[in-house]
Amino acid sequence: MAREGRRRWHALRNVVIVLALWEVIGRLDLVARGALPAPSEILLRLYRDWGEYPPHVMATLYGSSLGFVIGNLAAIAAGVVFVLSPATLRLFRGVNIAIFALPPIAIAPILTLSLSGMAPRVALAALGVYFVTMSATVVGLSQTDSRIADVIRAYGGGEWPIMRLARWRGAVPSILSGLRVAAPNAVLGSILAEFGGGGRWGLGAYLLGSLGRGEPDRLWGIGLVATAIAGASYLVFALLSNRFLGATRAVSLDTAAPSPGGGDGRRRARLPIALGSVALPFLMWWAFIVGTGVPALIAKTPYGVFDYLFLSRAAGAAQTRLLGAMAQTVPITMVGMAAGLGFAFLLAVSSRLFPGFVRGFMPVALVTQTMPLVALTPLLVLILGRGISLTLWVTISVTFFPAFVTLAQGLALVPRAALEVPRAYGASPWKEMRMVAIPAALPYLFAATRLTVPRALLGVMIAEWLATGKGLGNLLNQSRGYLDYGMIWSVAAASVLLSVAFYQAVVVVERRTLSRLGMHTAE
Amino acid sequence: MAAPDGICLEAVSKTFRGRGKTVEALREITLGCPPGSFTTLIGPSGCGKSTVLRIALGLESLDRGAVRIAGEPPASATRAGITGVVFQDAALLPWRTVRRNVELPLEVLGRRPADHRAEVAAMIALVGLEGYENSLPGELSGGMRQRVAIARALVTHPEVLFMDEPFGALDQILRRQMNVELQRIWSETGSTALLVTHGIDEAVFLADRVVVMHSEPGRIVETIDVPFARPRERGLFAETAFHRLTDRVAEVLHGS
Repeated sequence: MAREGRRRWHALRNVVIVLALWEVIGRLDLVARGALPAPSEILLRLYRDWGEYPPHVMATLYGSSLGFVIGNLAAIAAGVVFVLSPATLRLFRGVNIAIFALPPIAIAPILTLSLSGMAPRVALAALGVYFVTMSATVVGLSQTDSRIADVIRAYGGGEWPIMRLARWRGAVPSILSGLRVAAPNAVLGSILAEFGGGGRWGLGAYLLGSLGRGEPDRLWGIGLVATAIAGASYLVFALLSNRFLGATRAVSLDTAAPSPGGGDGRRRARLPIALGSVALPFLMWWAFIVGTGVPALIAKTPYGVFDYLFLSRAAGAAQTRLLGAMAQTVPITMVGMAAGLGFAFLLAVSSRLFPGFVRGFMPVALVTQTMPLVALTPLLVLILGRGISLTLWVTISVTFFPAFVTLAQGLALVPRAALEVPRAYGASPWKEMRMVAIPAALPYLFAATRLTVPRALLGVMIAEWLATGKGLGNLLNQSRGYLDYGMIWSVAAASVLLSVAFYQAVVVVERRTLSRLGMHTAE
Repeated sequence: MAAPDGICLEAVSKTFRGRGKTVEALREITLGCPPGSFTTLIGPSGCGKSTVLRIALGLESLDRGAVRIAGEPPASATRAGITGVVFQDAALLPWRTVRRNVELPLEVLGRRPADHRAEVAAMIALVGLEGYENSLPGELSGGMRQRVAIARALVTHPEVLFMDEPFGALDQILRRQMNVELQRIWSETGSTALLVTHGIDEAVFLADRVVVMHSEPGRIVETIDVPFARPRERGLFAETAFHRLTDRVAEVLHGS
């Protein structure tokens, strides 16, 4: 108890130190001639602007909550179906990865073109929560204690009784922790749609309207409010999931090996399912266009995009512009990601050596994870300017924090005994790290890489859109201005494909490496 | 016509394939347990004794041979509620109270727990857990959790009772105590019992017959009858005749 209290006190002390430093730096205008205002200045400005906030906050809350509810209902239903029927899961693999990997900023303009009113915000918020909750549901439902499933099967119970009696309740903590991560995503999605789609109300619209006025304290105020909303939504579900955890943990360790799935009979169906999983996202895209009934001039079907890029008269020029933009975006994304991941890896692994440091750092990492990226970028522009270093920093920051959290939490799962075996033979901390901590962290490094691919691309594109005037983000913004609908859809499609290709490449390397080392992939 | 054997395996063979390796888990296992008898299956770890039990319950498929539980194929026997099972781990649902855990088989079989309230209470009493009906598994000791699992296995009044190392995780003292209690509970129910174990004294103490298995491939090498009268008392563990028999089982077990 005393230790807990002391730890809290330390955390509080660290926050106070950071705030005090910030205040001094802000008051003295040390960063980029006042781009980093002091906390007191931001709060004062927030107080003065307070009258303007309510309609914006309400609009963002409305869009994100509706999207949160719709997206999560769809995600949980999909998760249940996927667990009951693994073939469906494989068939929807393409759709799931595409939804996970799509950079929201690229989708915002096309949603605004094809939907109207609040619908684009709701859709983007729903897309933002779907994958997280769906995978949490699948993981939770399939992690059922195999011994309990055996007991139910021993009374002739099939998949449905197992689902009803054991899986469902056992999955609650996992689903809640999925909702915890999904909640800030919904806020981010709504803000991005407001930002990329116009409209009068919403924090994203407010931010967009305030960008050109050169008032850093106001931008910081909007950023803080957005972060507070996202953070609060995270906190609500964090508290809920803590309450449920206690009564769900198995009282003893399940050592039964997972049974190898997939018989010989199913192998024949594998190729059609794989082809179907590639075709399904395009089919859904096409169905979306037909369903919304938007004219073909504005909304492009997959064929429309193909026609624009390869068959039409302007195809050559369009290709050149698109490829040129990709050539600018891809390298910086990779460099930023590599730097962010490397940094996170080193820090997480060495945290075995300095556990106190990490304990103090973790809350900061969690807060920055919930900070909406669009709100962060204009602030970084003020500090770093509009050059390449901005793009790089945005990418590193969006990659670093989730990677660090994944790695640190993953390493915390490694049994203490395993970490202590080398020490029992007198190994030095460094040797202990090399023999146990680094290999143990490897699955989580891959998981973190998979996790951060779309975020890195999103970060680069936001920076390009807002600040640097280069690459895919800029091309998207430009095409919006020129009403070049073919290019808007092409950039959206290209960035999703790019992200999926990146993701798949990581998955392949991960499987090869981990299976050679006899390790399992981490979720 | 005599009643069919409680458990009947005929020339059951099973091979596991995986990662380029094939393991012949069971070769030509033939085993018949008369109604109301108590059989223990003993063998070194990895000899396939648990696989025999899982095949008999229909949890595992078989390559060749036939299985009958009280004259029926495993799938329909389990669905009819003829069988009960206890695994090495109590495998209780952590969010259900003791009573609700005992009710689980009734729910799987589509019976209304409300109609069986008296039986549930009787089973909890039989395993000596009165007063703990509303406790969660996390609040019980290992031995108590295992007794909940036994109550759960008995609540359907099974004709055939399967037990897979039910006391494997308990200490020696508790284990003996549970052996005595299991004998008492079993004799009150009159079911056909198959117990998988690697404890020799436990096997001899409880069984009418001890079936000894060897591994690679998993096969039955000998069946040893246990002549001691029932009910057997705790003192049996110390008797010379008992030790002579356990020595005999150990001899067969280690091969010669």
